[in-house]
Formats: sequence, structure tokens, C-alpha cells
Amino acid sequence: MTNQRLAIDVGGTFVDFVLFDEASGEICIEKVSSGGKLEERFFEGIERLGLSLTDLAMIVHGSTTVINTIVQEKGARTGLITTQGFRDVLELGRGNRPEIYNLFYRPPAPLVPRYLRYEVPERLNRRGETLIPLDEAAARQVIAQLKEQGVLGIAICFLHSYANPAHERRLAELVAEIYPEAHVSISSDIVREWREFERASTTVLNTYVKPKMAGYLSALQSGLKDRHYTGTLNIMQSSGGMTSGLAAQNAPIRTLESGPAGGVIGAAALGAKLGFANLVAADVGGTTFDVAMIHQNRPLEKAETAVNRRPVLQPTLDIISIGAGGGSIAWLDAEGGLRVGPKSAEAAPGPACFGLGGAEPTVTDAQLILGYLDPQYYLGKRMTLDRAAAERAIETKIAQPLNLPTTEAAQGILRLAAANMSYAIRNITIERGHDPREFSLVCFGGGGGLFAAALMRELEMARAIVPVNPATFSAWGLLNADYREDLSRTVVKPLKELRLEELAGVISQMEAEATEHFDSHHIQAANRAVELFADLRYLGQEHTVRVPLQADDLKDPLFASLRTRFDDLHEKAYAHALPHLSVEFVHVRLSLIGLTQKPAILEMPKGNKGGAQKAIRKVILMGNDIMDCPIYDRPLLAAGERLDGPAIVEEWTSTTLLLPGQTLEVDPYGNLILHASH
Amino acid sequence: MPAIDPITTQVIRNALKAAADEMQISLVKTAHNPLIYEVHDFGVVLTDHLGQILAEGSGLPGFLGCLPSAIVSGLKVVGAENFSDGDVILTNEPDDTGTHLSDVVVYMPILYKGRLVAFSSVMAHWADVGGVTPGGWCPDSTDVHQEGMIFSHLKLYEGGKLNTTLERMILKNVRFPELVHGDMNAMIAACHTGARRYQALCDRFGADVLQASMEAVFNQSEQMMRRKVAEIPDGIYSAETWLDHDGIELDKPRKIKVTITVKGEEMIMDWTGSSEVASGPINHPFVETRALGYCLLKSLTAPFDPMNQGHLRPLTVTAPPNTVVSPVYPAPCDSYGYVGEMIIQLIARALSQAIPERCPACSYQMFGPYFFRTDPRHGEPFIFIDPVDGGGGAFPHADGPSALIFVGDGDCPNTPAEIIETRYPLLVRRYALNLEGAGKGKYRGGFGVIRDYEMLEDNILMQLMNENTLYPPWGLFGGDQSGVSKAIVWEGTDHEQVLTRRISYFGPLHKGDRVSARTTGGGGWGDPKERDPELVKNDVLNGFLSAAEAEKIYGVKV
Repeated sequence: MTNQRLAIDVGGTFVDFVLFDEASGEICIEKVSSGGKLEERFFEGIERLGLSLTDLAMIVHGSTTVINTIVQEKGARTGLITTQGFRDVLELGRGNRPEIYNLFYRPPAPLVPRYLRYEVPERLNRRGETLIPLDEAAARQVIAQLKEQGVLGIAICFLHSYANPAHERRLAELVAEIYPEAHVSISSDIVREWREFERASTTVLNTYVKPKMAGYLSALQSGLKDRHYTGTLNIMQSSGGMTSGLAAQNAPIRTLESGPAGGVIGAAALGAKLGFANLVAADVGGTTFDVAMIHQNRPLEKAETAVNRRPVLQPTLDIISIGAGGGSIAWLDAEGGLRVGPKSAEAAPGPACFGLGGAEPTVTDAQLILGYLDPQYYLGKRMTLDRAAAERAIETKIAQPLNLPTTEAAQGILRLAAANMSYAIRNITIERGHDPREFSLVCFGGGGGLFAAALMRELEMARAIVPVNPATFSAWGLLNADYREDLSRTVVKPLKELRLEELAGVISQMEAEATEHFDSHHIQAANRAVELFADLRYLGQEHTVRVPLQADDLKDPLFASLRTRFDDLHEKAYAHALPHLSVEFVHVRLSLIGLTQKPAILEMPKGNKGGAQKAIRKVILMGNDIMDCPIYDRPLLAAGERLDGPAIVEEWTSTTLLLPGQTLEVDPYGNLILHASH
Repeated sequence: MPAIDPITTQVIRNALKAAADEMQISLVKTAHNPLIYEVHDFGVVLTDHLGQILAEGSGLPGFLGCLPSAIVSGLKVVGAENFSDGDVILTNEPDDTGTHLSDVVVYMPILYKGRLVAFSSVMAHWADVGGVTPGGWCPDSTDVHQEGMIFSHLKLYEGGKLNTTLERMILKNVRFPELVHGDMNAMIAACHTGARRYQALCDRFGADVLQASMEAVFNQSEQMMRRKVAEIPDGIYSAETWLDHDGIELDKPRKIKVTITVKGEEMIMDWTGSSEVASGPINHPFVETRALGYCLLKSLTAPFDPMNQGHLRPLTVTAPPNTVVSPVYPAPCDSYGYVGEMIIQLIARALSQAIPERCPACSYQMFGPYFFRTDPRHGEPFIFIDPVDGGGGAFPHADGPSALIFVGDGDCPNTPAEIIETRYPLLVRRYALNLEGAGKGKYRGGFGVIRDYEMLEDNILMQLMNENTLYPPWGLFGGDQSGVSKAIVWEGTDHEQVLTRRISYFGPLHKGDRVSARTTGGGGWGDPKERDPELVKNDVLNGFLSAAEAEKIYGVKV
């Protein structure tokens, strides 16, 4: 029987495992600490689940290997080969100063130092025509020198290679001949778009992480093989679609934002089931607060992202992160103002109440002393919290200097944390032309349930959803991913001058490439879908607007309907359209989707289970008033049950808080739906 | 005075910062002109009813200090009692707004329950204001009226009603009325956003609590700044430099001089000794001279704190009238930025005598060619303005950053070769670090760049921005000065020309002609002999330095 699927999601503090049985619809969860070697944690979780790998059809993995390798700058020694005259592009960057008051601003150092950057004579023009042929003799010499230098990877980025990859491909062949052990990435394979610095940066990052990702994935593959696993190992990509382990090994940079993607895909899937098309997905972790927007059932994407200011041209779910979470440290700045985050106590030493030596007051400490957390019931009794330590930290570091009672200081910490989170949500919604009040909030992650009510109130949102198993929701989300590959081509031309055959020619090339991908993933015809987009802009603008391409667009040489749809979308995004101005075509984008079967969201058994209320606890919700708050055991809540705030709902990995005036309803699937009023 | 608590105060402070950020998002989303939505050539500020800064967005730092001054002036010209709900006011007089006419200020009074409680304001570079040079950066104007239309606190909207006569007048007198109209509306939208957010906060906390909380914040920030100023050793610190010329009198260098007095927790920045007002447009209005003083004090002491009025209080800035740093009407000031760059660098130079560990050496000055063809008989008209990145001054603890845009251009990115070649009849033959001209030192200046352009068509003209070629960027504490930015035309031919000074028209250039733009590096910091041998070796490894130079300059054998 191979009807089980396993999702494995790596977070900063825990690795989460969600096992889904397609026959029964049953879900098992497990958490292990994410410290130490990840490949060991991976199998530790599988063992804890008591899982026989022969029953398993598929593993989906949200990995943080790539992002961690880049953030910690622990990638491989990498060389770069460029067009003659452009060796320094990686170091020159774009020259802008994002920190306006910082006299000591400095862009990040190039990951390939100058002495490992080489030039070869060759040159194409913007149409991809050869001005100077590739000098193969010089190229051979350069490769030999890089070999001598002991680089593990070689990145290749030639000018205008997006228009014609021939020189880059030939050079890669020469590398394979002269230095076959090297990991090679050519820019036209990683991203076929213009802008030489961003393309070089993306290609270098890909090469830089390749050896490490390859090592990690092969360790997983061989461990799986030893355990007689015959299914597939898929990796989540930044785009929210998954890919094979092999593809991830070749283009690891596509998995950069693999970690937070699962939660967004999960939120979209849950919203579709519950009939909420417009959602804000908010993941409250230990260290970060990740927000994404889902509009009409589609998570919003962007074509470009950056790590530590190093740009990456890859389709990426549009997720913004701020340093706010359970472990965020509260501190007083030089002016005596209270701040929360972005520094976190992380897993070690953790919040003061963990009793692991942490002395800094954190969000979790504040929640504990206000009564929102049960010191005996944290992580389903796997951990006991030290209330006195929490009090001591807040008392000495915050309350005394501000001359406030400790409980007021604790409330202040939570108010500020919630306010910071709400600004992140406001920004991501209004920046994209939407009003947060028209969205429902999905709050997950270990701390999601404790902030849902406050965020809803702060943003005047009508509804918040705390899903089943909120702490492992991101891992569950991974099970909802389709296969996806993204291709792009730069075709810069005024729309008026673009010939239909030219565009059709580019698209048919891309479709041929897509078909190869589908075949290699063994995706059946019925499960294949292709989406085409055009990036257009008004002539002279820098930013583009993505317009879905329709079949009819390829029949109209004037592109009249495409043009009108562009004006409409521009109007929507930027509050104005310029219908009399010329429009420029910039990129064609193709997403190929291989549909997979999703986990069914099943209704809970009907009927009142009863006895969910397990206690009444003293809590402080606002002001200094101590209130009696009923505590409920989430597994005992029945579908349709309604609670009035204040209330606290506990489960083993999470706690949900409901404020006075709000109501909570358990939906037929077991999700907690919070409403702003009765 | 209503009772306030420290938590609510902090929530309000953050909320106002978020409101200013939201204004900025609204502006960038709806502007029509790439100078706003791409170059971020703007400032966004919320002030209280007296024009004191509550919070700011993140545009050009120099602009942020100008907006409050425009509002203070509006309170005088219009009168507090004459502001009503729904007013939108335009102003751009350099005496009030601090820069040139192209940077127009739009502001809006915010009323709550009939009472004036705050202002939202935006300053942004319009695509045109109808001056003699399109777009505003005239190299040779001789009075402010040549530079465009002047608005003196004109109500474009009065009580929510558009003054269509005024609007028609403006749009008839600018070269790109569509862009200007779009930008004007974007600025108004941003002001409305700020007003709505402020009013929502009044609903939530009460207007009086808001005001009292912000007074508390001003006091906190002021006290912190006073502590920071008090940490600077008392004394009188001065520095001066010279600019090449003013665009009109080409043989007359202009002096800029600052004397900074630190006494206890107060600082006075005085610009006495600077040259008298210039005939050409390099004059730098006093409001901006003062704003850059605020800006530098903040940068040197608390660069990452959200700014408010309290941060400004310990500083007084003075300058005698009718000088290059304090011109009076009708002095021209369209290309005020050259002086602006030097003001920033000079303040750091003066204060390096007091707080050496916090002051970098001098960076390169603004530089860049314009390539253009205006006569359609010679081919399709185009203009390509290419501000070229250069080297930053060395830091007291590290080498200067290479290839960054000059400070005054803030967050403006360069144009990639692949985009230049797609848009203009140019081929970029080389884009590389310029290893010449970075000041040597214990920490060396950052490197400038080399950008080689080849003309692909005929009859292309060139204009060149450049400054500080007579008095190059300085080093500090024994670090060397850097070199001079230049453009080399027809390099290696018998008619090669090396251009170092500002030039309005050069050419025509024809197919195959080459121009090599080379920006200089930043000044060095500290004695070269004290340079860490590891850094010297690293420079040799990376080809920044030959082994012979390493030995000669740094005394390090590699």
C-alpha cells in the first residue's frame, strides 16, 4: 500500500512532519528540534512517526539549506567568467544607497572575489548577434586557471546571453571537458532575462550553494534508499510549486524561499475549501513573522527577490518577513522607548521562561505572565515554563526602567508586537492596492493563535482563521503543492513593432522546453497545464505589469486586447492608465503546472463531544483588570460549537486567544473561525 | 494636558512612522514620473500643527528637513486660521523649500473636529516646471525666474474644491503636462493618505493624547540627542573647500567653509567664510544648508532611529545672507547639488577633528555624461542621462565602499549595460572598477568606475556633470586625497581629449567614437604605513595593487 504522503518542513526551531493517509484522510504530526545535522533530523522524524517508507508514495520537503548557506556565507569557493570588459559587474552592482542616513553604508561584498573573476573575449549585441566570437583558446586558459585555483563551482554570465545562450553553452562544454568535477551554472539556464548584474548575482548564488545542496540531497536520497523508499523526493520552490530533487540539485536557487512557501500554499488551499478567496496568510514563528497575500485564490508572486541585498531573479511568492515572533526580545532604546524585536532569543537560550539561561524578556514571557499560556501545558506538557524567570526578566529590563507595573509592561510588549505585525500586513496589502479590511486573516505557526485576535482588531478585519494543527500548518501546506517550472524570455520591443510570428516562435520554443520538463517528471497529459504571461510597461518606465496571455492574443497582429488588458491592470495597480502612450513588451513568462492530488479536507465527526472547557484561569487582557477566562481543550471542541470571548483554546503545539467582544466558531472541518463581534 | 503612558506613546510613535511609510507607498504607486517612482527623488513628512516633524518616509534625506520649513512659512503666509479641511497647497520658493523650483512641495492641513492638528506634506521632483532647461538642472541660469514657475503657497484645492484656473495655468506652462498632472495628483493622494491615517489615530487615542504623546517623544529624542552631542568633545572645528566654478564665471572658484562649535549639549554650525552668492546656478538655499546639517548630525549620532523634531533641537545652523550657502532672491540655484555634496562632506571633515571614529573621508563628487540628439534630421531624438557611480571615502575602521552613487542621489540605481544598449544607440565596451585615484591610507578610499561608451550612430552630443577637479576629495588623518573624475574622448587617437571640467555641449560624436567616463575614488583614512599587511596582500591578490606598489606605498612585501 503506497497511499501515504509525507511533508517535511524545516523551521528555525523545529522540523515539522505531517503524514497524510490518502485512504483514511488521517493526518499525523511530529516535531523534532532543528539543531545539528539536518539530514539526521529528517530521519529522526521519520522514525518517530513510526513510519515504514515502503508505504510512502511521495515526500515533499520545504528546505532552508539554500537560504541558510547564503545568509551564513558558507557556500563553495566559486569562480565567475564574464564577457571581456565586465569582470567587475558583480562587485559594481547597481550603486544605490538604501540606508539614507548611514554614512557607513556598504553593499554586500561579492561572493566571488575579484581574483576568481575572469574575462574571455566574446560579445553579443542586444539582438543576440555575434560582434566578437567566443575565443576558445582564451576560454580554455581561463578554465585551467580556475581549476588551478581550486574552485568547486564556475558561474558563467555573458552580456545579452538571454537573447542568445550559444556562447555560454559552448563555454560550459569546455568546462565539462577541462574540469569535469566543477559544478557549472550558466546564466541563460538559470534566468533568461536582461540586466547583467542581477543575472550574474543569481547565477553566482546558484553556483555558490550547489555543492552544499547536492550533498544534502544526495545524503537524503541515499538514506531513503537504505530504507527501501521507492517514491519521489520533491522539493518546494520559492514559487510555491514543487520540483524533483534532481532539478533542485541543478538549480538550487529556485528553492531559496522554500521554507515559508508551504504555509502560503496551504492557506490558499484552505481558503478555496472554505470559500474565502481573499486572504492574508500570517505565519507567527519563533523569530519571524511572515506575511503573504492571496487574492482571488492566487498567492501573489514577484519576479525578483534578494537575500542580504543580493538580488535573485526567480519567481517567488511575495512574502514579507519582519523580526517578530514568540522569541522576539523586548528592549529599551537609547531614548527609553520600548521596542520589540527584530532580535530573537531563538531556540537557545530561548525566552527567559524556558529556563535555559535566557535573561532577556520576550513575547512568550509576556504571554506567560498575563496568563495566556499554561506553564504546565507548553508543547503538550513536553516543557514546563518558569513563570518567575519571565517575571524577573520583564520586571528588571522593562517595567522598572519605565516605572510601570510588570503586567502593564507585559501588555505593552504584546501591543507593540501586534502593532508591528499589523503594519507589515497593512503594507503588503495597500502596497498592492488592497484594503486589509476586505481580507480574511489565516493565522498559523506556533504563535499564530495568540495573535489572531489582536491583529484582527488592530486591522479592523472581520474574520480570522486558526486552522487545524496551526503549528504544523506550513508542512501540511506542502502537501497542496503542484509541480511547477517557470521559464522566461526577454523580448524587448514596442508592442507596435512586435511581430506575431516572433512572439509565437519564442512561445513555441518555451512550450517545447516545457514538454521536456513534463516528460521528465512523468506527468500525464490530463494533469498538465500551461500558463502564459507577458510583462508589459509604458515606454520609458522601469517597472512592468504582468498580464496573462490568452490564446486569442496570438491571433491579433495589433495585440489590441492585450493592450487594453494591460491598461486596465496598470490602472488597478497604480491608480492611473496612459492609453495614448506606447507600450513596450519586455518578457514572456511561462509557468507549467503538473497537477497533483491534494489532501482532502475532511469534516469532523458530528455531534457534541462536550467537556471541552477544562478550567478557568486568571488572565489580564486589558488595563490592569484580572479576568476569569475559560480554558478549552481544542481536541474536545465539536463542529459548530461557539465560544464568546474572552476564551483560551489550548492544543499541544499551540494556543488560541479570543478577546472580549469577539466570538469563535468551530467550523465543520475543525478550524477555529474568529469573528470580530457577535 | 492629558495623561499619557510610555506604551501608548510608543504605539503612537510607531503608528505615525507607519502612516508616513503609507504616504510614501501611495506616492510611489501613483506617480507618473520615473524620478519619483524609480529614483525616489522625493520626501514625505507628517508634522504637527506647528510644522514640527512627527514622522518621515525614506526619500532623499535632504528633502525631509525642508518640508517643515515650507509648512512653517505657510503658517505665516496663509495664517493658521485660514486653513480648512480639504485644502491642498503648492509651494516651491527656494527660500522656503530649500532646493530648486523643480522640487515642488504639496501639503495639506489636517483638521480634527474643526481644529488644525497636523500637516501632511510631500516634496518631489516634477518632470518640468517650465524653466529654460527641460526637467530642471540648468547649468548656466543667472536668475531664479529663468528656472521655472514659482508657486508661493497657492491653494490648488480650497475646502476640497479644485481651483481649475490655477490648474490650467500650471499645466499650460510645463513641458510634460501629463506627467506633471499625474505627479501632482499622486502627491495629493499621498497627503490624503497621511491625513486619513492621522485622523484615524485621533479617533482612537484622541487628538490631545496624540499631541501630548508626541511632545513626550520630542523630549525623549531631544534628550538623547543632547546626550550624544555632549559626548562630542567641546571645541571649535572648521573645514573648507573650493568648487571649480559656478557655470557662468568659469575662472572663479567658490569657497565653502563651515565652523562647528560644540559646547556641552549644543552644537552650532556656522557657514561664515563661504563665498558670496554666485552668478550661476550653483547656489544652495539656506533651508537646505540647515536641513543637511540636521541630516548629518543624525547620521553621525543616531542613523537608524525614526526621525522627529526632537532630534533637531540641539543644533543651530547659521549663515550670512547672500552667500553660496544662503542665497537671496533672485539668485539662481537650479544646480544646487554640487554645493550640497560638499556641505555633507565638509561637516564630516570638520567633525572628524572631534569624533574621528565616526567620520569617513571625502567621497567623489557628482559626475555623469548626458548623451543626446535633439535634431530629428540627424536621427531619432533621444536623451540619456547617466549619473556614474564612484568611490566613497574611507571609513575610520574599513576601506571606503566602491562604486556607489553620490550621497545626494540616495537610493538611485545605475542603468545596466544591457538596458543602455537596448534603448540608446550606444554600446558599452567596458564597465569596470577604476583602480586609479582611490586615496591611499590605513584604510583606502573606495574605487570609482570606468564606463566606456561607443557611439553606434552619428551626430550625438554630450554634456558633462563634474566638480571638484581643482580641489579633489580629501583624505583624513594622513590618508591621501583621491583623484579627479574625467571623461576621455577618442582615447588613443591623435585627437584624444581629456575632459575634466563641467561642459554644456561637446561634439558632435559619430559612429565608432568612444568616450571613457572615469570616476575617481574616495579619500583615504590614516597613514598608509599603518595598513594591515593582510589587507595589502588581499589588494595585491585581487589586482587592486601591484607588488611593487605594495612595497613602495605600504611597505609590505608580497
